[in-house]
Amino acid sequence: MFSLRLDHVSKRYLIRQAHVGAAADGLLARLRQRFAPPNVFWALRDVSFEVARGEALGIIGPNGAGKSTLLKLLAGITAPTSGEISISGKLSALLEVGSGFHPELTGIENIYLSGTILGMQRKEITEKLDAIIDFAGVRAFIDVPVKRYSSGMVVRLGFSVAAHLDPDILLLDEVLAVGDAAFQKKCIERVLELKRRCTVVFISHDLAAVQQLCDRVIVMNQGEKIYDGATAGAMTAYSALARFRSSPPPRTESVAKTAEVISLEFLDANGEPVHIVKTGDALRIRVEYHARAAVADASFGVFFYGADGTQHCQFTTELSGDALHLAPGNGIVEFSCEELGLQPGSYLIDATIEQHGTCVDWQYRCSTIQVNPGRNVKGLFYHPHIWRETSASSILAEENVTADPRNQI
Amino acid sequence: MRALSAEEALSTTLSGRTTKNIRPPSFEPWRLWSAGRELLRYRDLVVTLSLHRLSVRYKQSVLGWAWALVQPLALMLIYTVIFSVVTRMPDEGVPYAVFVYAALLPWTYFATIMTNSATCLVNHSALITKVYFPREILPLTYVVAAFVDFLVGGLVLAGMMVYYHLPVTRFALYLIPIIAVLSAFGLALALFLSVLQVRMRDIGLAMPLIMQVWMFATPVVYPLSAVPLRLRFYYDLNPLAGTIESFRRVLLQNKPPEFSSFTEASVIALVLLPLAYLFFKYREASMADFI
Repeated sequence: MFSLRLDHVSKRYLIRQAHVGAAADGLLARLRQRFAPPNVFWALRDVSFEVARGEALGIIGPNGAGKSTLLKLLAGITAPTSGEISISGKLSALLEVGSGFHPELTGIENIYLSGTILGMQRKEITEKLDAIIDFAGVRAFIDVPVKRYSSGMVVRLGFSVAAHLDPDILLLDEVLAVGDAAFQKKCIERVLELKRRCTVVFISHDLAAVQQLCDRVIVMNQGEKIYDGATAGAMTAYSALARFRSSPPPRTESVAKTAEVISLEFLDANGEPVHIVKTGDALRIRVEYHARAAVADASFGVFFYGADGTQHCQFTTELSGDALHLAPGNGIVEFSCEELGLQPGSYLIDATIEQHGTCVDWQYRCSTIQVNPGRNVKGLFYHPHIWRETSASSILAEENVTADPRNQI
Repeated sequence: MRALSAEEALSTTLSGRTTKNIRPPSFEPWRLWSAGRELLRYRDLVVTLSLHRLSVRYKQSVLGWAWALVQPLALMLIYTVIFSVVTRMPDEGVPYAVFVYAALLPWTYFATIMTNSATCLVNHSALITKVYFPREILPLTYVVAAFVDFLVGGLVLAGMMVYYHLPVTRFALYLIPIIAVLSAFGLALALFLSVLQVRMRDIGLAMPLIMQVWMFATPVVYPLSAVPLRLRFYYDLNPLAGTIESFRRVLLQNKPPEFSSFTEASVIALVLLPLAYLFFKYREASMADFI
């Protein structure tokens, strides 16, 4: 029995170019612009899948893959251009928290307003009122206009209302990242609880979160479904995708391609290729290159980017060891680290070859790696460290302590 | 097999859960049925949003609810000064102040619906792009809120009628169909204009001007009998002419409604409402993409 079925669904957007400048000012120009043939953009192309009752499906893909269009279609916000979507049972979308909040209304009034907008009955809200207020932890301020709330309180109240919907199908966006750590934990617990009794569709670009929640993953790219199956395989599909997607970075045009990276592989402690590692694991990165001519003083770099594009860390040959002189032909550079410091998440990888500070080759987003929770510590990154029990005097007594491997975290 | 190809069919599956089918938009008339049923399921939202409109409007204002009276009362004073002091307007034997207020009241009701609902979808674009609910609820709640204002204004009319010793007769029962037709016509235009405003913001900009012209094309400050007979055919094309004139006749002049004009207005309103709803539902499907 299906919960959700998409049958050859496509969505087309017509984009009218907004011309700026003097030409667009005249009335005639405006009318011409209005009736000019628009640009056609297919956000989704012929997507079909079925979600069984009780299943938890994750949908991932890079920006522009059609994830949010899919979300809007499922939520009923917009209609497909062709094809059909069948939804069996009540679908609730946990998309944007605080939908329909009005600043002048009190907390209670806003619970009713937002709750009915999300499809609840007033009676149902009255029954759940206490649970909603307690979950949000705003009982003391419940009769105060929401405009006097802190932004955190608004977000918590918004999520709390949405979390008390009683759907057959739950549509999740990346809303789980609201509030402080304690509230986030509560949110995830609530979602896991809901998961036990309803079908879940989770749309995200964070593979780790999807992995935690879903049994099945669909990978989208440029409006098409390119993978549908077990979570483990999705990782490979997603990283293969990243490799093909190599949209050339602006700098490459001026690059003298005397050498280039031809493959990049992650290996675990046993030398086996991996796509998923844990924080604190040993990791090796094998970079294979091809040099067309001899390149003196070359340096290799591997960059890790978070899903939002921030650079998290870099492996480089520049700071240590002898200078690298590449001979024509193929070769391999291998980086290795004893303990990976990256926190859980998915990372996008760039690989570069430089010579005297100028770029010889830049493979943009040529791979991805998934880091799962391993040695979990608080903070932005895990820092390998050792410890021992000691007293103040013994520090002075022993200058060079050899680390006892059993004491390593 | 026509019924099966409708845009949004609600059917009950074997398990007892309803299945909703989302398809590309189409213009099929039987859509009205499923749309109506869906609206019924969202009736609590209609109630909550209407209450919300009323409670938010006068928050942090000193006069509060009195504002519902200010607009028709101020207009009444202005027109009374102009048309009974400065110049004489035929008033059919009723004190001019009551005469003009009895038409300003339904007119203000209609005008409030128009000006508020024309922009209502665009003003709620944040909601429309994030959550699904039947979008017609937005214009509908503005009609409900305007109706409450209309009732509050009606108290003043009742007070004036007591003051001038104007009796209420059985003809006042005609107010029910008259108000129903006025509301239906207002709602039809609200649905139609709000959805046009999504793609053409000109509607909202033109609204104040249109309403001003429209008021003088309607027997508000003058009686219908003042309109020359040779122009009556064109004049009656305005459904409000028959409605507003009849509103005043049954209440103040103890006469039955202006039947020919009122029937015409009823037919226009009752044909327009389902058409406007159908058009609204058709455009609803792509509303979020354009707003």
